[in-house]
Amino acid sequence: MPCSGIGKVHGLIAREAAYAVTDELAPAGFETLCLALLVSGDEEARARVREAECIAIDGCPKLCAAKNVEMAGGKVVKSIRVVDAFKDHRGAEPGTPTKLADDGWTIVREIAGGICGGCEGEVR
Amino acid sequence: MSDSELKVGVISCSGEEIPEGTISRLATRRVLELLRPGSTVTICLPLFLAGDGAERDFATKHPTITVDGCDKLCAKKGTEEHSGPVSAALVVSEILNGDCSGCARSARDRTEKDKEAVWLVSEEIAKAVDAILAESGGCVSEAGDDGAACACSKPIPGMELQVDGRSVTIAGLALIFDHLAESGLAADESSGDKLLDTVRIYHPIDPKEEHDYRAALISAYKTHRRI
Repeated sequence: MPCSGIGKVHGLIAREAAYAVTDELAPAGFETLCLALLVSGDEEARARVREAECIAIDGCPKLCAAKNVEMAGGKVVKSIRVVDAFKDHRGAEPGTPTKLADDGWTIVREIAGGICGGCEGEVR
Repeated sequence: MSDSELKVGVISCSGEEIPEGTISRLATRRVLELLRPGSTVTICLPLFLAGDGAERDFATKHPTITVDGCDKLCAKKGTEEHSGPVSAALVVSEILNGDCSGCARSARDRTEKDKEAVWLVSEEIAKAVDAILAESGGCVSEAGDDGAACACSKPIPGMELQVDGRSVTIAGLALIFDHLAESGLAADESSGDKLLDTVRIYHPIDPKEEHDYRAALISAYKTHRRI
């Protein structure tokens, strides 16, 4: 579950990391869900997070994804903060909230790999 | 809040599951960065819906446009539940007439069709912004207003043109040129009408100045393409 924050590049990195896992690394084992749908109280969305183990990928320390999964009754087995991933990339130029640069894609691959290190797929 | 300070809030759905969600998000950013940079602000929808009073105040401070990817209308319903009626509610799937086959969720897979969808939706958002500002007596056009910014929407720098000896700055002109170049627009005299029609969407052009703008845009486009 990515936060999809719209104000900074961190939200886009979270979103693309989620897609890297669900669409490329392990489509059979992972899926994503519209966070806004969950937050708005949709019963079907709430049921889906309660039935699954959830990994939250948050761009910023407000942790909207992790908090909202928990508020919906879901279990967050792993909470990832994109800002933490930047600590290993001092001076990186990750891109913008609409377009990732090479450094941004590198961080996406690292986060995705951390979620699904043993998966057979590859992130482009 | 005075008219000159009026900013329209644009709230995009997050829409991780569907391409329309990605289009909604990118179109919203495009309005904030390029089309109406000085008169729009945004907030993360999940933060807004789950946030405290500070976030919830967003839609009470700003006339708000919601941009939803699908007919579940998470952005519209959430905003109205927490802050009151929205000024306009746009739905990507309706704007695109349901034709989003071939569009992508991830930026890795974006094609020309995705870009065109983002352009189309962002222009609809810009029209809605203009309508709200006009109704409020605010300033409709602030292209070139590079001084205005918020945490979420630092405007893209403008490009300076010499129009009949007068210096004019057009916000995001380099991006407009890049898009037209990608679309195959030749960098010669035949590009004048297309350049004029496209730039006019983002920057007010007095009909009396069309001839001068056309010449200036062709010259600048050639320079941009290094021809």
